[in-house]
Amino acid sequence: MTEPGNPIVTCRGVEKRYRVGAIDVPALNGVDLDIAAGDFATLAGPSGSGKTTLLNMIGGLDRPTAGAVTVDGQPLADLDKNALTELRLHKIGFVFQAYNLIPVLSAAENIEFILRLLGVDARERHARAVAALADVGLAGMEDRRPAWLSGGQQQRVAVARALVARPAIVLADEPTANLDSKTAEDLVALMARLNVSSGTTFLIGTHDQRVIARSKRHIEMTDGRITADERRDVAFAAE
Amino acid sequence: MIGALTLLAPLAWRNLWRNPRRTLITLIVVAVGLYSILVFAAILDAWARSSRDSSLNLLTGSGQIHAAGYLDDPTVGYRMPPPGGALKTALNAPAIRAWVARVRVPVVVQSEYKTLPLTLVGVDPAGEKRISTIPDMIADGHYLSAADDAGVVLGRHLAERLKTRVGKRVIIMAQAADGTLAQQAYDVVGLFAGNQNAEDQFAFTGIATSQKMLGIGSDISEISFAVPDDQQLAGVVASLRRASPGLDVSTWAELSPLTAAVNSFMEAFVYIWLWIMFVFMAIGIVNTQLMAVFERVREFGLLQALGMRPSLILVQVTLESAMLIGVGVVAGFAASVVTIVPLRGGIDLSFLARGAEYFGAGHVLYPELAPGQFVELSIIVWLLGIVVALWPARRASHANPVEAMSHLS
Repeated sequence: MTEPGNPIVTCRGVEKRYRVGAIDVPALNGVDLDIAAGDFATLAGPSGSGKTTLLNMIGGLDRPTAGAVTVDGQPLADLDKNALTELRLHKIGFVFQAYNLIPVLSAAENIEFILRLLGVDARERHARAVAALADVGLAGMEDRRPAWLSGGQQQRVAVARALVARPAIVLADEPTANLDSKTAEDLVALMARLNVSSGTTFLIGTHDQRVIARSKRHIEMTDGRITADERRDVAFAAE
Repeated sequence: MIGALTLLAPLAWRNLWRNPRRTLITLIVVAVGLYSILVFAAILDAWARSSRDSSLNLLTGSGQIHAAGYLDDPTVGYRMPPPGGALKTALNAPAIRAWVARVRVPVVVQSEYKTLPLTLVGVDPAGEKRISTIPDMIADGHYLSAADDAGVVLGRHLAERLKTRVGKRVIIMAQAADGTLAQQAYDVVGLFAGNQNAEDQFAFTGIATSQKMLGIGSDISEISFAVPDDQQLAGVVASLRRASPGLDVSTWAELSPLTAAVNSFMEAFVYIWLWIMFVFMAIGIVNTQLMAVFERVREFGLLQALGMRPSLILVQVTLESAMLIGVGVVAGFAASVVTIVPLRGGIDLSFLARGAEYFGAGHVLYPELAPGQFVELSIIVWLLGIVVALWPARRASHANPVEAMSHLS
C-alpha cells in the first residue's frame, strides 16, 4: 500500500488517439499527472476534454497510444488483459454515472460479489458488506434489489461496492450526474467523509461544482491536456 | 472451480429469469425438440421391433440351418437328415428357446380355375406353434393337427386368387427326390391371414405328408430356431456351427437382409431426426442467447471493469445456457416419459389395416422406455446445446469494458 502523500497513480506523456475513418482524433495529448495516496481530487473540463479517457487509462480499461501509466507502483503496460482485471479487482474501485449495479443481486450481494471474486469467506464477506452499507447510510437495506432503491441509494451502494475491497484508488466518472441536488450533495459529503476516515484516494471526473468545491485538489483538462492543477485547504474538504 | 461455480451459479440462475418470456421460449424450443426426439425414437424403435418381429416370427425365427447350397437353390435336392447327435444337443441347449424342423420346397398349386407358384412348407404343427405366429393367424377353418396331417393351409389372399376355400381341394405339384414330378391332392383345411406377401407365398401341410410326397424319407430342408434374447444369437450360432460342420447356419439378418436393413435404418433415423431437430433447436438457442448477450454487453464490460476475468464471464454465460437447456431437457424428458408410459400397452394400428403391412409393421406397436437411450439422447441434446451456446458466451467474454464506461458518460 502506498504511503499517504506518495504518488499512487503516475501518468507520463500519456497520449490517446482514436481512429475515426481516415482521421486520427486525439483524446489525450501528453498528460503528466501524479495522484497522491489520500487525495480527494476532481478532474473537470468541458465535454470532450479527455476526462473519461484519462480515467479509462488509469483504470486499465483502455491502453494509451503513447506514454506510461503506473498504479500503485505497477506499470500498466506490462500487464495483459487478465492481469489488468486482477489489478482492477485488488487496487481500483469504480463508481459510474449510471450506478451499474447488478440488477439480479441485492444491495448486499452486489457488494459481496467483489469479495467473492477476491475469495473472501462467506461469513466475513457478509459482515463486510453489511458494514459497508452501514458506512454509506444504507443499514437495513441489505436485501433490497437495485430496482427497489432510489438513484441516490443505488449510487451509495456503488460507492460501498467500490470501497469494500479497500482499493488503492476509487475512480468515479460523473457520479452525481444522474442525482438530484440534495442527493448529490449527500453523496459528495459521503465520499469526502470516507476519504478522510479510510484514507482512500478518490479521483472524480465531474462537471459538478458541488463536487469540485469539496475536493482537496482540482485538475482542469482542456483538449486532452491538463491546464490547471490546484491544491486546496484539506480542512475545507473534510468539513 | 467449485468456488467459481458457487459464485456464478446463483447469478446465472437469476439472470435466466430477467427476461422470463425469452427464457420460456427457449425452454419450450428445447423441451419440444427433445420431446419429439424421444417420442419419435420410442415409436420408431417400436416400429422397427414390430417390423422385425412380424417378419421373423412368421417363419424365419432367430436363425436357420440348411444343407449347404440350399439357400442358393432351395429345392428338394439340397436336404439334410433330421438333427441328431451334437447338433440335437446344441439345439436343446438352454440358450435356444425353441426349434423346429421343416420341409420347404417350391411347388405349383392348382385349383379348378388357376395355377400359381408358391412354397410348400411341411411342418410339425406342435413345434411350429413355439416358433411361428402363423398357427395363431387362422382366419377360416383350422390349423394342421399332426405331422402327418394331409390337409393344407393356404393364405387367405392366395385362396382368393385360386378361387378356392376351406373344404375344397387343390393339387400341389413338385419335383420329387428322384427327379420325377410328384403331385398330390390336398383338402384345404384352413386359411391364414398374415401379411399379404406371406399369404401369397406359403402353403402348409404336415411334415410327414410332404416327406412322403417328395420321397425324401425323414429328410428335412431347414431347422428354424429362436433365442429369447438377440444378444445371445452370435454365441448360439457359433455353437451350432461347431455342432454341424458342413451345414449352413445363418442368422435372421443374413436370411432377411431387408429386415436387417430396415432395423439398422430405423436406428440410424433416430439420430438423423436428432440432428434435424437439433439444428432447429440450435437456431433457437443461439438466437435467444445472442439476443440476451447483446442486451447485456455493457453489463459484461462492467463485470470486467469490476475485476471479473473474461474466462469467468465465459463460464457464467455458458452456465446460464447449461441451466436453461438443462431445464428444457428435463421438461422434454418428463413430457416424453409421461407420453410413452401410457402407450406401453400398445398403439393399435389396425385402423390402417393392410396399410401398416406395407411399412412392414404389425397391427400393434409397443413403444418402450429405453432408459439408456433416453438418457443418452437427452445428454447429447444438453451437451450440443451448451456447445452452440459457447458462441454467444464467447461474445460476452470479449465485451470491451470501455463500452460500459462510455455508455455512462
